[in-house]
Amino acid sequence: MITYFMFSVKAFTNQLAYRAEVWLRLLGNFVTILIQVEIWKAVIGSGNVDGVTVEQMITYSVINTLLSALLLNGVSSKVDDSLKSGGIASELVRPLSYPLYLLFDGLGNSIYQLTFTVAPSFLIAWLFFGILPPSSAANFIAFLGALIIALIVSFLLGYFISLLAFWFMNHFALSWTLNGLITVFSGSFLPIWFFPHYWASLAKALPFQYMGYVPATIYLGKMTGTQMWQTLALGMGWIAALLVLVQWLWARAVRRLVIQGG
Amino acid sequence: MDIISVNGITKTYRQYRRFPGLIGSVRSLLTRQYTEETAVRDISFSIREGEAVGYLGPNGAGKSTMIKMMTGILVPTAGEMHILGSVPHEARKMNAQHIGVVFGQRSQLWWDLPVMDSFELHKYIYKISAPTYQNNLKFCMELLSLRDFIHKPVRQLSLGQRMRVEIAMALLHDPKLLFLDEPTIGLDVMAKDQIRQFLRTVNRDKKVTILLTTHDMKDLEEICPRMIVVNKGTLVYDGSVLKLRDRLGDERRVVIDFREEPGTIEFPGLTLLQEEGLRKTYLFARGESTVFELVSRIASQYPVEDASIESEDIESLIRRYYQQLALDDMRNRDIG
Repeated sequence: MITYFMFSVKAFTNQLAYRAEVWLRLLGNFVTILIQVEIWKAVIGSGNVDGVTVEQMITYSVINTLLSALLLNGVSSKVDDSLKSGGIASELVRPLSYPLYLLFDGLGNSIYQLTFTVAPSFLIAWLFFGILPPSSAANFIAFLGALIIALIVSFLLGYFISLLAFWFMNHFALSWTLNGLITVFSGSFLPIWFFPHYWASLAKALPFQYMGYVPATIYLGKMTGTQMWQTLALGMGWIAALLVLVQWLWARAVRRLVIQGG
Repeated sequence: MDIISVNGITKTYRQYRRFPGLIGSVRSLLTRQYTEETAVRDISFSIREGEAVGYLGPNGAGKSTMIKMMTGILVPTAGEMHILGSVPHEARKMNAQHIGVVFGQRSQLWWDLPVMDSFELHKYIYKISAPTYQNNLKFCMELLSLRDFIHKPVRQLSLGQRMRVEIAMALLHDPKLLFLDEPTIGLDVMAKDQIRQFLRTVNRDKKVTILLTTHDMKDLEEICPRMIVVNKGTLVYDGSVLKLRDRLGDERRVVIDFREEPGTIEFPGLTLLQEEGLRKTYLFARGESTVFELVSRIASQYPVEDASIESEDIESLIRRYYQQLALDDMRNRDIG
């Protein structure tokens, strides 16, 4: 495991080279949160809609904006680069599991984002807009669990897309589609509470909700007790299912592998 | 013991057809026409532990594809292959631990890290024990003189320096088998020499089995007594350099300086190549008599001032072999 952890450290230190990015990202996060806050203030006003107050919606937006900086679905662009440059050959001659290498590399980036953009953005958002505390200790613990599930699900979906790229030799359209699905069905912009009945059941039958809606809802205490633990267990089920899928796909993808540039 | 055994290996690719122009690219979207390209066709050979083998062939002969299959990155379409006793693509991770790979045109180093950091990472990836690591590092540092630039970032190294570092890194984990894909491509004479000497030492003293692809015949002469030649995916020669010379007929050049114009000289097997006044160059194909006999016979009949015999170097030998292969190919096509 220490071997793979070295890749996290390397990804983390690599990111340190781009310090100007930190300021731009802080600014970007602030603007994104500000826009959402203003929209929800206009929509909800001082009362509540379907039992959701404006304070809850602000907290929901902050959590979702910051969570999206941590997700690992960007893994497909990394695989795409190696496929196009042929660099994947050098990565595969090492005695390493390719997905674990990608996962830890991605985690290094996430830890970097957490330290340098997410934590400061959280403070800024708290000062400017106010953030509600977690609804209970149990919910906070479940929220941390949900975050880990969010990271793993996002990684597996990104990895799934990158394996499909072995057939299409291009991941752009696929990851574009994936990002669209995530934006809508993760509930990161519009919570699933507000979805019409049919669309809400569809969203809850898909794994995308774990990348936004589930962690934020748990944090706010909109989901508690048995329902909360059941949702987390279902999340683990999704992870298991996606794992089986990517393993199966990987075995086929290697046969398709073409190394560019001789 | 055979460290590599390859039996009837074939690798085909699908090459999708693209139509030219704007309308063509729209057409490419809708139709998927492809041709099956065979990069490697029914190749068999085996290599014993401790051997050094050169894998040769013109560009596009399927050399890199073969190396990638042997390292477990590519999966063969047909045939059987065992490297270190296991099927490479099934035991990729396990085999990688005992294999060193150098791709001449592709770096395995971390571009923005100092050389030493790349080595350290390599130590973790391959789980190399501290004493082994120290020993191998010392060995490589000395023989490849890496000391001057070991703390520089990889991107600041010259090509020759980088290649020495690549080779050193491929050996840090004590591999039993070393694959090198064009390790001397684009290097100057000094760097090439150092790398060849180093590889010879590694093969002789550390008993590392070496398989290298190259276009540089000096690599062969100095490192590999055995060579495998492939052309258009098919194995066309497997054996020693000397035997290939025999097979192609031992042709020699004889340069003779005459004191005065000798007129036409006729001997069996002798052809005039070039004339510069009194200096004439002949090509002599050995038949009944040796080249020495020939020269002394000419000297007894004609006014010879001086004579020198040039053995055909391996480079022109191979060139002649490739030309002959291309010719055979054309003939086959005419018939078929």
